[in-house]
Amino acid sequence: MTTNTAPELLRDIDTVNPVMPYLRQERIPHIWCPSCGIGTTVNCFTRALTESGMDLDQIAVVSGIGCTGRVAGYMNLDSFHTTHGRAIPFATGLKLANPKLKVVVYSGDGDLTAIGGNHFVHAARRNMDLMIVCVNNFTYGMTGGQVAPTTPIGAKQTTMPFGNFEQPLNLPFLADACGAVYVARWTVFHVRQLAKAMLEGLRKKGFVFIEAISPCPTLYSRRNKRGDGIDELKYYKQNSLVKNGANTQEVGLTFDGKIVVGKFVDRERPTWLDAMNDHFKQSIGPHYSPYGG
Amino acid sequence: MSDSTTTERPGKGTVFVRTEICKGCSFCIDFCPTDCLAFSKDFNPKGYHFPVLQTPEACTGCDLCGLYCPDFAIYGERWKDLDERKAKRPAALPTPVAKAWPAQVPTAAEPAGVLTGLHFIDGDHAACEGAIAAGCRFVAGYPITPSTEIVERFALRIPTVGGVFIQMEDELASSIAVQGAAWGGKKTLSVTSGPGFSLMMEHIGLAIMTETPGVWVDVQRGGPSTGLPTLPAQSDMMQARWGSHGDYEIIALVPNSPQECFDLMIKAFNLSEIYRTPVMFMMDEVVGHMVERVEIPAPEQIQIIPRKFTSKSKAEYRSFATTPDDLVPEMTKAGEGYRIHVTGLTHDERGYPAMNSATQDKLVRRLINKIRDHADDLVDIIEDYVDDAEIIVVSYGITSRIAKSAVEDARQRGIKVGHLRPRILWPFPGGRMRELAKRVKTFIMPELNMGQMVIELERAVKGSAEVISIPHAGGSVHEPEAILKKIVEVSQ
Repeated sequence: MTTNTAPELLRDIDTVNPVMPYLRQERIPHIWCPSCGIGTTVNCFTRALTESGMDLDQIAVVSGIGCTGRVAGYMNLDSFHTTHGRAIPFATGLKLANPKLKVVVYSGDGDLTAIGGNHFVHAARRNMDLMIVCVNNFTYGMTGGQVAPTTPIGAKQTTMPFGNFEQPLNLPFLADACGAVYVARWTVFHVRQLAKAMLEGLRKKGFVFIEAISPCPTLYSRRNKRGDGIDELKYYKQNSLVKNGANTQEVGLTFDGKIVVGKFVDRERPTWLDAMNDHFKQSIGPHYSPYGG
Repeated sequence: MSDSTTTERPGKGTVFVRTEICKGCSFCIDFCPTDCLAFSKDFNPKGYHFPVLQTPEACTGCDLCGLYCPDFAIYGERWKDLDERKAKRPAALPTPVAKAWPAQVPTAAEPAGVLTGLHFIDGDHAACEGAIAAGCRFVAGYPITPSTEIVERFALRIPTVGGVFIQMEDELASSIAVQGAAWGGKKTLSVTSGPGFSLMMEHIGLAIMTETPGVWVDVQRGGPSTGLPTLPAQSDMMQARWGSHGDYEIIALVPNSPQECFDLMIKAFNLSEIYRTPVMFMMDEVVGHMVERVEIPAPEQIQIIPRKFTSKSKAEYRSFATTPDDLVPEMTKAGEGYRIHVTGLTHDERGYPAMNSATQDKLVRRLINKIRDHADDLVDIIEDYVDDAEIIVVSYGITSRIAKSAVEDARQRGIKVGHLRPRILWPFPGGRMRELAKRVKTFIMPELNMGQMVIELERAVKGSAEVISIPHAGGSVHEPEAILKKIVEVSQ
């Protein structure tokens, strides 16, 4: 191994880097491009896992398809790499089969909100006890930079060669409107805040939605003359406005405008399973023993 | 180069870099709060400049670099923390312990789910009872005629049995929610009809690829498209076999009565566990809605095959590893500490993606051979009047009841005709057909489709006997006279 660290410390490196125990180390290096932000969100997730003190054997990660969909395959947790758009319903089944698990859905904007949009809407409506991490890079990275439901108006994509003219989704507003109990948005510049949001998300019961704005240097940033990943992070630094509790209707994103970040929603609502158990206790009475897996 | 050592400690902390995995994004350099990092002049083997600690005295070991690094190539640590951690380091990792799961031996059904006794119910309800008796404790469904009664009954029954029903937002969702539940340790059922079956096709492929057990019911109705929602057909038989993309083998069962909806449902669950594969349960509208006497046996008379959970330790267990004698891998479930990875991508024995032709060849061959090699074990045919038959009518599902009465009429007229009713249609029991073709003059195959399984029959007999199809587009069933007429015609 090449390193610029003192030789006597070398043997510690694999085991000490706080992120390494969370990764399937034999699969590193990963497939993500240089200066892609997905890896940074994974760092934040691992810090949140450490802070949470949770039993890692009781945490499962479910991903769909795409660049962010590969997160499941790198996490040294029970992990499921499902079909395009269907991570949420898979996670729903997994959670209901074993409610003791903390099930985290980790996927991209196209996967979760285009092809998987309907599942997103209904899992939020049901308040299914899932934590959704949506890495939003405004594009379909793995297929080569096609327009996504999050692509800002004006941004060029291979299937919008003259610039996107479709209204993009405002994801926090969507999650809020559908009934999510926790909604936050941070960028990968805001690593500490993102890690904290993930920690809060892990501890929260119900449908948690965390949007992580992240650069796709290869297919979004460079194609739109926004520079590289580092230039995007600098852009996030300069143009982010922290507004905790902001009205989610007003946090939509534009091509070169401000990015409102923060914790927008944090409320209480019974989860699907709690509601089911309460309902059956009332309607069926003593013949019902609450379902716990 | 050596910027930091345990003996020289210029700053409060230091950074460690795995230079070979760095991709040179400069996140760590640009966002270091004390500006102590810089790009090296050297390249790593991939051609990237990597970070070096330029001003070690400024480094606080805050690890913000580590938090930013998208490649997990750098991290920082305070000297104080490093010393503490080293002092605390455990001498050895704990020894992994094997899970004590029972072997896959047949057991009796769980009494809570078995409504022992005589019932007067339709095929949909009987199928639901079969599933519960078989140990199914999770159903995800979406209403669609004529299958809806199955999920309705499950929703009513399961709260007092101990399980979950969830009506999902569509069939795409229900057909993958059951797979999540299967990896959570449940036996699962998904239920639909034609249009919903089409939506489920992608996830049949996922279940095949990830070897996820479960039973999938298609109560067939007339198609294409919305077709005849309330009227029967058997026109999804080829879809059950070939509907998902890619190469695979499938198991499909076809009941012809409410009693068989119960009995064969238990068999379907058992086969699904034995072969770790999704099993198709191909009903039709008439069988689904026909009300008949159904006898549900006592729990101890129902044989249940439990899931083949591994008894290996975490260190030994490979989720998709098999032996030459047994092509079906042992399973586990989430939450048991195995840290499994399950993917629809072509994968190796650990479940890790490995996209190359060698892995593909090994995996696809095994997925296919685990069923093909057992084709003889998967023959389930009810034979009537076959011994001296010169003509054989082959039929399944609702059609078999009409065909059998036509065969009996023809027998009364002195025609040497027999009836063959495969209850497992996939894999197609071609061996038996081929054997009979040596002495049988003609096979007649009525189906509620324009000729689907008859193609398999023709393929099996390879021209050694005549094969006649009696197609029917669905919407009603064959008239017995139509089948009888064909038998008489052929006999002359």
